Amino acid sequence: MERAVPHAVPLGQMEVFQALQRLHMTIFSQSVSPCGKFLAAGNNYGQIAVFSLSAALSSEAKEESKKPVVTFQAHDGPVYSMVSTDRHLLSAGDGEVKAWLWAEILKKGCKELWRRQPPYRTSLEVPEINALLLVPKENSLILAGGDCQLHTMDLETGAFTRALRGHTDYIHCLALRERSPEVLSGGEDGAVRLWDLRTAKEVQTIEVYKHEECSRPHNGRWIGCLATDSDWMVCGGGPALTLWHLRSSTPTTVFPVRAPQKRVTFYQDLVLTAAGNSCRVDVFTNLGYRAFSLSF
Amino acid sequence: MSSESSKKRKPKVIRSDGAPAEGKRNRSDTEQEGKYYSEEAEVDLRDPGRDYELYKYTCQELQRLMAEIQDLKSRGGKDVAVEIEDRRIQSCVHFMTLKKLNRLAHIRLKKGRDQTHEAKQKVDAYHLQLQNLLYEVMHLQKEITKCLEFKSKHEEIDLVSLEEFYKEAPSDISKAEVTMGDPHQQTLARLDWELEQRKRLAEKYRECLSNKEKILKEIEVKKEYLSSLQPRLNSIMQASLPVQEYLFMPFDQAHKQYETARHLPPPLYVLFVQATAYGQACDKTLSVAIEGSVDEAKALFKPPEDSQDDESDSDAEEEQTTKRRRPTLGVQLDDKRKEMLKRHPLSVMLDLKCKDDSVLHLTFYYLMNLNIMTVKAKVTTATELITPISAGDLLSPDSVLSCLYPGDHGKKTPNPANQYQFDKVGILTLRDYVLDLGHPYLWVQKLGGLHFPKEQPQHTVIADHSLSASHMETTMKLLKTRVQSRLALHKQFASLEHGIVPVTSDCQYLFPAKVVSRLVKWVTIAHEDYLELHFTKDIVEAGLAEDTNLYYMALVERGTAKLQAAVVLNPGYSSIPPIFQLCLNWKGEKTNSNDDNIRAMESEVNVCYKELCGPRPSHQLLTNQLQRLCVLLDVYLETDSHDDSVEGPKEFPQEKMCLRLFRGPSRMKPFKYNHPQGFFSHR
Repeated sequence: MERAVPHAVPLGQMEVFQALQRLHMTIFSQSVSPCGKFLAAGNNYGQIAVFSLSAALSSEAKEESKKPVVTFQAHDGPVYSMVSTDRHLLSAGDGEVKAWLWAEILKKGCKELWRRQPPYRTSLEVPEINALLLVPKENSLILAGGDCQLHTMDLETGAFTRALRGHTDYIHCLALRERSPEVLSGGEDGAVRLWDLRTAKEVQTIEVYKHEECSRPHNGRWIGCLATDSDWMVCGGGPALTLWHLRSSTPTTVFPVRAPQKRVTFYQDLVLTAAGNSCRVDVFTNLGYRAFSLSF
Repeated sequence: MSSESSKKRKPKVIRSDGAPAEGKRNRSDTEQEGKYYSEEAEVDLRDPGRDYELYKYTCQELQRLMAEIQDLKSRGGKDVAVEIEDRRIQSCVHFMTLKKLNRLAHIRLKKGRDQTHEAKQKVDAYHLQLQNLLYEVMHLQKEITKCLEFKSKHEEIDLVSLEEFYKEAPSDISKAEVTMGDPHQQTLARLDWELEQRKRLAEKYRECLSNKEKILKEIEVKKEYLSSLQPRLNSIMQASLPVQEYLFMPFDQAHKQYETARHLPPPLYVLFVQATAYGQACDKTLSVAIEGSVDEAKALFKPPEDSQDDESDSDAEEEQTTKRRRPTLGVQLDDKRKEMLKRHPLSVMLDLKCKDDSVLHLTFYYLMNLNIMTVKAKVTTATELITPISAGDLLSPDSVLSCLYPGDHGKKTPNPANQYQFDKVGILTLRDYVLDLGHPYLWVQKLGGLHFPKEQPQHTVIADHSLSASHMETTMKLLKTRVQSRLALHKQFASLEHGIVPVTSDCQYLFPAKVVSRLVKWVTIAHEDYLELHFTKDIVEAGLAEDTNLYYMALVERGTAKLQAAVVLNPGYSSIPPIFQLCLNWKGEKTNSNDDNIRAMESEVNVCYKELCGPRPSHQLLTNQLQRLCVLLDVYLETDSHDDSVEGPKEFPQEKMCLRLFRGPSRMKPFKYNHPQGFFSHR
């Protein structure tokens, strides 16, 4: 008795190609709209898809509700990070940051409002932008990525004000420490560096891999994700996911999560993490409980 | 009274004696005229009235005398006799008078009669004359009316009108000055003219008749000439056959084919016509032929009486056989099945010649009871092919045409009505019989003009030429592409089995000059085996691993690293790319579920296949993918981040030029090769 393989439609060239694309898709970034009804997700092909959260979460949700409302090609390379201001969606990937109007984004053929490229030093290869961080008090955007620097861009003028250097390898993630205000950045070089935005200088460095409790040499030393709650910081990646006390720069708790973590967020005293490498966005309504997935 | 009679006799005697004597005298002697006594003359003198009175008196006297005689006789006596005698003498006298009177009366009567007779005769004569005259009058009247009614024939002729007459007639006929006044002359003249004209026309008529005769004769001659041409043309056709063959223009052969084609069933006929038309118009490499027995085809349409005879014969035979042994139910069912799946005796053969002299032979059959067409395929090559082990299925007749169009696997009958027929004879599916009958692909039905709509099942599906024509070109092109890609794969497999990835020179630019990883194994695996592999689950779940696909396992090695690649080859290669799933055994087992870079490698081969297609017709796709896989493995192994805790050098020193080793949040390795600079970067 052969195993029944489910499929409904004979697959032509287009269908096979699309299926293969979906199989090899990675969603790198997502952002919720200011009104809270929509979720934008960016993948490794440079596409952004906008899902209707209200439709997907409603009680009459059908299969179609879990499909994007609109999908468009935003960047040439992968969309590594996205953030939302109160009116704009900012996406960044292959060296450029683009802005889209949330109000316009649902219409077909939406064009970016503006695009900016930070001044890079190298010209051989365009470095990617791995992380975007909004600093609301300054109305500025911090970009960090392949060129190992943090760039600040003023959202009003679009001018690049600062470039913070210090990392020896490319930067993975950023976090904002509101009170100071300080920016934390974690990078491939295994260090979490704290920067003071007013003085534009590196204030503190934590070399995570050097601490035995959390280091996992076989995974490497890279810091993939960062989250901070002003006094506390969670970081993970190559080393294990650890909770740090920032003042003393000591690791306090090591979370027993095996896989290298990609994303981490503090949420009401809960820590939400995701190590996703599929075309799906897993929605967690509770820690450890995956309610359903949104699919590209 | 004898006495009286004698008395009477006497005067008669006298009379008679006297008359002839008188007569004689009359003749002989005319002088004695006044001597004889003519009673006739006396009659004229006497008065008939007085005679009548005399007669009455005489009669009275006689009566009186008789009465006296009577008295006397009765009284008797002597004197009586004298008296009687006296009376007798008186009565004799009276008798004489009476006789005379009688004579006179007779004579008068006779005279009267004679006179009447005469008068009558006269009257008659006049009457006769009158009648004659009347008759003549009548006759004359008739004649007169006849004459009056007489129409001369000349009035029946439609003469030309006067004006025309005067216009056309020559003056010597029309004689205007005479005829104007005299209608008689005028009519004469007109008649003359009429005669003249008629003569002329008669002349013309004769001339035309003779012309016609001449022309008819000419026509006859030409007809003969033409009819004698037909046999000559036939002989020329015969003679030209060798010339036709020499020039590769087989008209005669084509003609024979068309003759045979008349016996084809409609779908095969549609296919034949459309394929021949397409071959002549667009594609010289296509040749069409009809095979099979025409007699059998004709026999299918035998008239009913004959077939009834046959039936009765066969019934008789059957009875005999049943006496000996009853056929089992299974045998009966088997026969019914055979009957249901019967093929039409004629089939259409299409030969598609490809550029490298390989030929795809397609034989199309028509299943009469099921109203579907099937096809059997065979590929022959110019040179003998040594089939590598893994290439067994590539060109096999069973699977070479599978899924020519997506999903068209040819294992199920396309006619939904067949299911009911199958139920009756216990056939589950046509799949069991396809090896024998050929595959009922959907495109085959379309080429035969048969369309089986799913939504509204029709009672009879009729072969439609336009359906066939609209699919012909695409299908032929697909068939050619299929054969060529399969043959290319065939060759490539032979090389792959020896561990060499055959990369053509025009695809060399896709890869760096030095590739260290080697392909060590290339084998086919079964569909079930593929499903069992632990690293292929994603593909299976996505519905990309059908039983119509072909599955292979490749093994790439470098040093201690072994990379297994499970390959799904879709029959629609190379428009549908092969799909690779990888499993790397090096420092642990890495698959796409636990190593993003493996996933990236798969993506490089599966998703970015369009770069690897090579020049059209992109037969290099598979080999380029395999070569790329080797390159990816090289990159992967060489860019492996050194684990500081482990001692010893890296197994694979980095030889590839890379700008950056890691990029992006997922820390991808640089898998993209840049030509001609020769370095690796990230996508």
